[in-house]
Amino acid sequence: MSQRPTAHDLTSTVSITTASRPARIDGRRLRSERTKQLIIEAYLALLRENPMTPMPTAARIAERAGYSVRSIFERFPDLNKLRAAAADYQLAQAAALAPPRNIDGDRKTRIKSQVETRAGTCERGVALWRVLIFSIDQDEDLKPRVKTARERTIERMEIMYRPELSTLSERDRKHLLIALEAITDIESWARMRELYGLSFEEACGVWVRAIDRMLPQTPST
Amino acid sequence: MIIEAYLTLLRESPQIPTAATIAERAGYSVRSVFERFPDLHALRVAATDYAFTQGTAQAVARDFSGDRLTRLKSHVETRSWICEQWLPLWRALNANQGDSSELKSRINLIRQAILKRIELMYEAELATLGATERLQTLIAIESLIDFESWARMREFSGMSIEEAREVWVKSIDRLLPPTPVS
Repeated sequence: MSQRPTAHDLTSTVSITTASRPARIDGRRLRSERTKQLIIEAYLALLRENPMTPMPTAARIAERAGYSVRSIFERFPDLNKLRAAAADYQLAQAAALAPPRNIDGDRKTRIKSQVETRAGTCERGVALWRVLIFSIDQDEDLKPRVKTARERTIERMEIMYRPELSTLSERDRKHLLIALEAITDIESWARMRELYGLSFEEACGVWVRAIDRMLPQTPST
Repeated sequence: MIIEAYLTLLRESPQIPTAATIAERAGYSVRSVFERFPDLHALRVAATDYAFTQGTAQAVARDFSGDRLTRLKSHVETRSWICEQWLPLWRALNANQGDSSELKSRINLIRQAILKRIELMYEAELATLGATERLQTLIAIESLIDFESWARMREFSGMSIEEAREVWVKSIDRLLPPTPVS
């Protein structure tokens, strides 16, 4: 769970526009991307430490990152853009840290694997997620990012539960995926951990049981 | 009137209304707003209490002695109606809670009321479970019927009220154990 993305993952994360171009090693550009990454990480660290402050000041972020305030605004026109870049970073991080595993396993293995992966993503991402949700009506840039995050959760479940979902009609399949996404929402995870005081394993147990009950019977191969 | 103006504005736009817009909508001066509420936080707390009282009156438990399908439909209809009505306030409450113990306690109170309703409606089925499984089932159903889950079905998936209700009815039915034979 503590595995970090590689330098290549991170540079391709913070600058979507450069990611699609052929790679050419450019030391200055690489350093600049690295600075962006450190600024984003400083913002995320401050959010996790103090979730009640959804947007720390530029001075606080700069201090934490070890750069000047000017460095921040050289790379992000305003703090809203930094927040959007942090969302991109976290999405890329979730993809890098949580590839689908055990997709050909038996039902129990697949449920356990999907739940543990999702739980890890929720555990790491809840602080930023709350900021995105509460700021979404004030910042149009956040809407596609939240949409992408939700779509990825559903896509992952489609991969993990393909045998069971294939037995359903299109309508039932859509309904089931929507329900599973609701049950495994980040806020659902946060409530289990914060409100009910469940351990990581206990909270995973809630999801494993719920998904197992929700899915139709696994077809025999 | 001031509280109702605040709630109406929340329903019209997700932006948190200012004292000036609230006063204008209520037909009072800004001074009148602050004569009654020391600050906007106090107004939010009062609006939450008002909404909770209204919501409780609107969401009287019905059919809790009915058969499984009747209880499922009744519970989902009531819950979805509350979500349709009170989602904007719920969002504002969460967005503004900050470190306010008053708003946090109200959020907890609302969640407790949702859980109690689940326990009431599905008492027969939940009674067949051990303590851990019961808690697991309650948590899963509570997540499923969260305000934001309803909002996603309506806003993100573009579902009608009927289709969204169908998702909840089918899902709760799957999450619950078999109904014991009485």
